[in-house]
Amino acid sequence: MPTKILVVDDEPDLELMISQKFRKQVRDKELQFDFVKSGIEALNKLKANGEPDVILTDINMPEMDGLTLLARLGEQYPLIKSVIVSAYGDMSNIRTALNRGAFDFVTKPIDFNDLEITLKKTIQEALAFKQAVKDRDQLLSIQQELEVARKIQQSIVPRKFPAFPERKEFDLYAEMIPAKDVGGDFYDFFLIDDERLGFVIGDVSGKGVPAALFMAVSKTLLKATALKGAPPEECLQQINRILHLESVSAMFVTIFYGILNTRTGEVDYCNGGHNPPYILRAGRGIEMAESTGGLVLGAMRNTAYKAKKMTLQAGDGIFLYTDGVTEAMDRNNEQFTEERLEERLKAGRDTTLPNIVSHVIEAVKAFSNGAPQADDITILALRYLGKS
Amino acid sequence: MEITQTKHGDILVIGPKGKLDANTSKMFEDRLMPLIDQGHKKILADFAQLDYISSAGLRVLLMAARKLSEGGGKIALCSLKPSIKTVFDIAGFSAVFSIFAAQEDALTDFTK
Repeated sequence: MPTKILVVDDEPDLELMISQKFRKQVRDKELQFDFVKSGIEALNKLKANGEPDVILTDINMPEMDGLTLLARLGEQYPLIKSVIVSAYGDMSNIRTALNRGAFDFVTKPIDFNDLEITLKKTIQEALAFKQAVKDRDQLLSIQQELEVARKIQQSIVPRKFPAFPERKEFDLYAEMIPAKDVGGDFYDFFLIDDERLGFVIGDVSGKGVPAALFMAVSKTLLKATALKGAPPEECLQQINRILHLESVSAMFVTIFYGILNTRTGEVDYCNGGHNPPYILRAGRGIEMAESTGGLVLGAMRNTAYKAKKMTLQAGDGIFLYTDGVTEAMDRNNEQFTEERLEERLKAGRDTTLPNIVSHVIEAVKAFSNGAPQADDITILALRYLGKS
Repeated sequence: MEITQTKHGDILVIGPKGKLDANTSKMFEDRLMPLIDQGHKKILADFAQLDYISSAGLRVLLMAARKLSEGGGKIALCSLKPSIKTVFDIAGFSAVFSIFAAQEDALTDFTK
C-alpha cells in the first residue's frame, strides 16, 4: 500500500511541481498525493477519505490557516505526522507550528530535494509510530485475554479447605499457581455418593484463553460423567470422544481420574496421559502409581482406556501434580525433575497435607530462584484416614 | 530453532534440534504443516538431536498425524532420547505413533 500524503496549500503551482518531482514514486505506488487548498478542506477530506500518513501544509491560507489546522489535527488525529511549509526566516510561525505538534518544516521557496528528504524522514517516523501504537494495542489485548483466562481458571477449581469438614475418613488439599501465560491446569474433587470420592487432576496443552476454555469444558464434562457413577475408564473414554470433537488444532488434555472408596481405602484409577502420581505410604516411603497406559484425551477419537486399582492403608496418601512442578526451570534452564520431587516427598510425607504441598512449592520456588514460571504449577494431595 | 530437512526417496526426514517447547513448537509447526499441504505423504521425524519436548511439541505431532492420515499419509519417529521416550510413554503417544530406534529402521519400514 502506498504511503498517503495530503498536501494543503492554496498555491496552484505546487500540485504540478510535486507531481512532477515525485512522479516515479507515484507511478511505483510508493507514494500517493492528495491536494486541497485550505485547512477546512483538509479536515473534510480526512473525514471523507480516512487518515493520510503525513500532511504537508502551508501556513497562510484562506478559510483556515495551517496553524489552526495543526491544532485541530493534534486533537482529532494524533497519529498523523505533519510538515509545515513556511516563509523563509518566519521563525515565530515555525516555533508555534512545532509547539503544536508539527514534526518538521520546509521553507519557501521550496527546495524539492530538501522536501524529499524531509518527507522521507517524516514518513519513517509516521510508520514507526503507527506500528508502535499497533503493537501496544495488541499487547493490551493479549494482557486482557490472559486476565480472562486466569479468571476462568481461578474461578473453576474448588479452593475451600477443608473441603468436606464432616468427613473423617479422608483429607484433601490442593494448590494451583498459574503461570503468567496461563496454562490449562485444573483439579477437582466431589462425592459421587456417600461412599465414593472422585478426584481428578488435568493439564491442557497450550496456553491462554483457548487452553482455559478447553480446560473448563474438560473439567465440566468429567464431573458430569463421573457423578453418574461410571468407572474411571468409562468416564475417560466418554469424554475423550466428546473432547475430540471439540479439539480444534489438535488440542488435548491429560487427565488422571481416581475414585476412592472411603470405606475400604481402595482406589480405582485411570490415567489419560498424565504424570503418574505418587503414593505416600505412611511411615514406609513413596511409590509411583502404576501406569494404565492411556492416551491423552481429545487426541484420537477411538481410544480405549484401562483402569487399575491401588489400596490405601489408613494414613497413606496420594500426591498428584502437573508437569509445571517437575519441569520448572532455574536460570540455567535446568529442570526441577522427578528426582527432586521424590526427595521432597520422602522427607516430608508424614506431615499434614498443606505442609507437604507447601514444602514442594517452596522447594520449586527456591530451585527456580527467580527464573520466570513457564507453566502452571498444580498439586492435589489426598490422604486416607481410615474408617473411624 | 534449527530444523534439518533431508529426502530419502519419497520419505521426508525432518530433524528438530534442541527444545520443542511452547516457544519453539510454532516454528516446528510452520515448517512441518506446509510440507504436508504440499503433498508429502511419508514423513519421518528424527529426534536424534532433540533434547526436550513439551505438550506443545506433542500437539504439533498430533496435528501432523491427523492431517497425514486424512490424505492417506503417515508419520513415523525415530532416535528418541530416553527422556523424550518417557514423555511419549506417559502421554500414551508411544502406542499411537510408530517409533523406531534408528533412522534406517524407520526408512526400511516406510518402504515395506
